[in-house]
This record gives sequence, C-alpha cells and structure tokens, in this order.
Amino acid sequence: MTYKRVKIEEVSEPAETLSETKKEELVPLPAPYDTPESTPDFKPLDAAAKERYESDLDGTIAISIPKPKDEAEERALVEKFLAGLEKLFRVEDNWTFLQPLLLTMEHCARCHTCSDSCHIYEMSGKNPIYRPAYRSEILRRLYKRFVKKGGGLLSDFRNGKIRLNWQLVARLAELSYRCNLCRRCAQTCPIGVDNGLIGHELRKLFSQELGINSKECHDLGSVQQLRVGSSTGMNALVVKDNIEFIDEDMSDKTGIEVKTPWDKEGADILLIHNAGEILAWPENPGAFGVIFEAAGLSWTMSSEIAGYDSINYGLWYDDAQFARVALHHAQAAKKLKVKKIVLGECGHAHKALTVIADRILTGDLAIPRESALTVLEEIVMGDRLKLDPSRNDFPVTLHDPCNMVRLMGIVEPQRRVLRKIAPRFREMTPHGVDNYCCGGGSGFAIMSGHNFGDWRFQVAGRKKFEQILNAFAGEMDPAIPKYVCAPCSNCKGQLRDLFTYYDLWEKHKVLYGGLVELIVNAMTDAKPGFIEWEWH
Amino acid sequence: MSEMVKVVNGVTLPLDEDGFLQEPDKWNEQVAEAFASDEGITALTPDHWKVVNYLRDYYLKNKIAPMVRRLCKETGFTVKQIYELFPSGPAKGACKLAGLPKPTGCV
Repeated sequence: MTYKRVKIEEVSEPAETLSETKKEELVPLPAPYDTPESTPDFKPLDAAAKERYESDLDGTIAISIPKPKDEAEERALVEKFLAGLEKLFRVEDNWTFLQPLLLTMEHCARCHTCSDSCHIYEMSGKNPIYRPAYRSEILRRLYKRFVKKGGGLLSDFRNGKIRLNWQLVARLAELSYRCNLCRRCAQTCPIGVDNGLIGHELRKLFSQELGINSKECHDLGSVQQLRVGSSTGMNALVVKDNIEFIDEDMSDKTGIEVKTPWDKEGADILLIHNAGEILAWPENPGAFGVIFEAAGLSWTMSSEIAGYDSINYGLWYDDAQFARVALHHAQAAKKLKVKKIVLGECGHAHKALTVIADRILTGDLAIPRESALTVLEEIVMGDRLKLDPSRNDFPVTLHDPCNMVRLMGIVEPQRRVLRKIAPRFREMTPHGVDNYCCGGGSGFAIMSGHNFGDWRFQVAGRKKFEQILNAFAGEMDPAIPKYVCAPCSNCKGQLRDLFTYYDLWEKHKVLYGGLVELIVNAMTDAKPGFIEWEWH
Repeated sequence: MSEMVKVVNGVTLPLDEDGFLQEPDKWNEQVAEAFASDEGITALTPDHWKVVNYLRDYYLKNKIAPMVRRLCKETGFTVKQIYELFPSGPAKGACKLAGLPKPTGCV
C-alpha cells in the first residue's frame, strides 16, 4: 500500500482529509519494535474536537484552529491571510528573512532531493503532503499569483493552478506544524533553496496576522514568559526557592558545596538555563552549579523577567515575540555588567540568542553570547576537574540538537568531552551536521493536545527512535543500563515522552540526560553515583 | 481520550485539549475521583491523597506545580512509586487529578 498522489491545487478542494497518515504505511522500526502490536495504535480523533477544530489536512490536530462560523468569517480570515502574505514579501515588514525567502520562491529545480532528506516525509511512509517542497510550492504559487508583479490569471497557466480559499489557509496553517524546522532539507538542496525557512515564514504569517499559533508556544509560552518571567510560570521568588532546593540537594548528593549566586554584579558569566530544566530535570542545572563551583568560575544567575529562562519560543513562530524576549535576555546581562552570557543545554535558545538575535542586539546590548558546550569543553579538556571515566562505564550515544549542531556548527566540543569521560561512547548514524531531529523540534516537544501525540511519536520521532535502537543494537538487554546524551531541554522532553510511549526505559533500560550529568558522574571529588538510573 | 468537558455532580467543567481542568478553582475531591477512574485508578488511597493534597497546597501558594524532586522529598515517595500511584506520571496523572492546569514550558 502507498499513499495516493496529491496535486498541489488539491489543497483548496473539500475532502475529509487531504492525505491521512496511516499507521500501516509507516516505515517499519527495527526489532524489538518490528511488529504492529509492539507499537500503539493511533487514537481516533475525538468527535467534539473534530466538530470544533480544523482537521482536514491529515486527520491530526496540532494547533486547534477553530472552524469559522460562516462564510463571512471565512472570507475575513482569507483576506487577513492575503494581507499577511503581502507583508512577507515587503522589506519594511520582513527585513529579517526576505532575501532567503525570495531566493526560495524563485529557484526550485523540483528535483526532490529535499524530500529524501526529511525524516517526517520518509518515516510517514512518504505521505506526499509532507514533502518539504509541497508546502513551498503552495506558497510559491500563491506568491506568483497574488503578490509578484505580472501574476493574476496568467500565473495559473505559467506557474500552476492555485485557488485561495479558507480550506487552503487552514490546511496550510496545520501543515506548517508538520515540520520540525530542522533544516536538513535546506542543507541538502543542491542549489541552496531553504524549504526549512518556509515552515517558519508561514507560522509567522499565521501568528502575526491571524493570531493562529500553538497555545503552548504563545499564550502559555512567550506571553506568560514576558508577564511572569518564565514560560514555566515560575516567578522570581519561586525560581530562587527552587534553585535553593536544588543547591541543597546537589551539595548532599555530591559532597561539593554549591550556592548559586543570584544577581551578582560584575560576574564573568550570566548563566541562563531553559527554566524547564529547573522543574523537570533539576540535576542538570544542579550539575552546572557543581562544575562551575569546582572549576572556580565567576558566574551568576539573574532574577529579571526572562533573565532566568533562556526559552525564546518566538524563534519558531513569531518575530515580534522573538524580539521582545531576546531584548529581555540582553538587558538582564547588561544590568549585571557581566562579560558574557552562557546558554545552558538548550538548543533553540542557543540559536535564538547567539545567531538570530544578532541583528537586534547592537550597541550596548551587543554582549558576547557563548554556548555552554564550549565552556564545558574548556573546563574538561583543560583538566580543571579530576575525572574518572570508569565511573561512566555504560553505553552512551549522543543526540545532536539541530539548532546547536547543524545550524550553528557546534559539533566537536561535546564529542571531545564524551571521548574523554565516556569509554563506551558510540555515534548514531548519521550524526553531526547530518543528524536527524529528535522529532520534538520547533515546539512539538511541548505540544500534545488532541491526537498530536501519536503523530509526534510515530511519525516525527520515528527516525530518532530508529537511530537510538540501532546505536544500542546487541545491548538491548535490560541488565545493561544505557544513556542517550541529549544536551537540549526540548530534545530531552521529546525523548522522555518518546521513551514512555514505547516503554523503552521499562523494557530495555534506555535513559536520557544531558552532558553535565555525565561530567559530574565522573568527578572523583564528588560522591559516586550522580546518575541515579531512575526514570524521570 | 479527552471529552473537552467533565461533568461532576451535575457541574460541567471545561477541559483543555490534554484533558486538564481549565478552571483550577472549580476543583474539589469529587473531581479528583472522577479523573482517577479515567486514569485507571479504582480507588484513591491515602497515598494518592497525600500526593494530591501536597500538589494542591503547593499550587495554591505558588500558582505553579512543584518540582517533581520536591514532590518526592516532601511526600517521601520515589518517582517510581509516584508512577505506580498515577500511571500517567506526576504531571499528566497526579497534577491533573489535583486540578492543576497543564504544566507549561519545556517541562
């Protein structure tokens, strides 16, 4: 069985679904997940949700787009979409991404190299609507028909048909959330077309013009972060209380006294974690504290709004939200007069603050930003800690967070550390800049409403799951504890939920965690057993 | 699968798409019991209530769920025991029963 072919213009035609993803079409997984019974069935979409929200793309709901109540409302939304489409192509409105967007609109050779590189398209069993170029081609036709000079009716003839209606708009919005924004397709395109950017530009159009976005990233994410201080909902008092709890816990556990400095003016480093770490994986910020104290660094955390939460979800869906949060990060650093900001183990925060924010952090806000991975490399390779690799005598593999590795080129620092402290480290295939996304990229790791979870774990996360099974092939015996090192909060969230979905910890003892935990686990000045081999 | 609303003692409570209570102040013990049967918990034991009550108190004070590690330390249960009590885990299981909103951010 295979999916039926879907023409570009079918996106505007009414149908139950444009192309439903089916479990029986998915690429089979390696043993012991190679039988249909070994993986969960897709849950049917709830009738009430189907009634209320648009689901006719593929039968999955990611962003809960309410169905318009009448034709007038549909028309109004289509008008807004068109206005937003025009803005995408105006330099005054889209100075950040206009150039790569235009290049992508003008130059696609339709060779489909990008399709082969996309884990979602591949692992879905090649559902044609998940091809990176399917999404781009819809936008390309809309651009040539409605925005570019000389478009109009002739464009249908020259560039292929496209009809703009609410069906198209709603499906395109959901379709922009069937892409992890990992940009593996952009990397493989022989002529430099950036289909990975298209998902981002579409999401931006929908959020900024139509108020359509994922509630988890927007209302509960960026908006809450700017109001309370963190997307987790922790205000300054709660976060300090939690860090104090972690400090005590870590001091007990390691025998190394840790007291996190808060708002210390003139410190060398402002360390900003993804605040989710503090709540869900406290041993990660805890291990940072142990390492920084043991290495004698001058550092601080900040209790300013967003100063203790490196999250910047706007990176995935909204330039305006993005800029607001990035400015808060830089201002927190400026206020404390630190020499640099160091970003903890969070991939999107890396790309957001060090790369994308570069154009708005000028003058007094041009404060150096650095990855924790290079700071850790310097500490470990500079022999500033006493380390005994035999304490890490278990199989370890490394997941490359797309934002740090493919998109920023931080490839070797984490590997040098692992080669030094983890004797049974092995790579996944492929890895480095050719890695595959965990399947949680671009916000998916925090999105699980309706039936999106099944799609996230069975389609988006399928390639990573396959890679992990292969990395530990021959060692799946639950008597051997195994560790997937994923130095990124978002990736860890995805791996936790993925492993739970497939029962990988209970059945095969595969745990996940960050890099700092492995370092502290090898520190001879710390009590042994930092990694507890308990599910979390 | 979530039903978007939950009816407890004739009161209709709206749920979010993950099945969490939309209005946490509408919570009461019957609501916890109603969620418990969805979780496959046949009867709430004193151990369940110890976790639920701790979560509820912490939430009312701080407007957010506690760290799982703190929950374990304060209640004396290991993470494994929490999972045994609430099969969907501390967030999707225990917090939901205690009427907390869905945890947000990368948690």
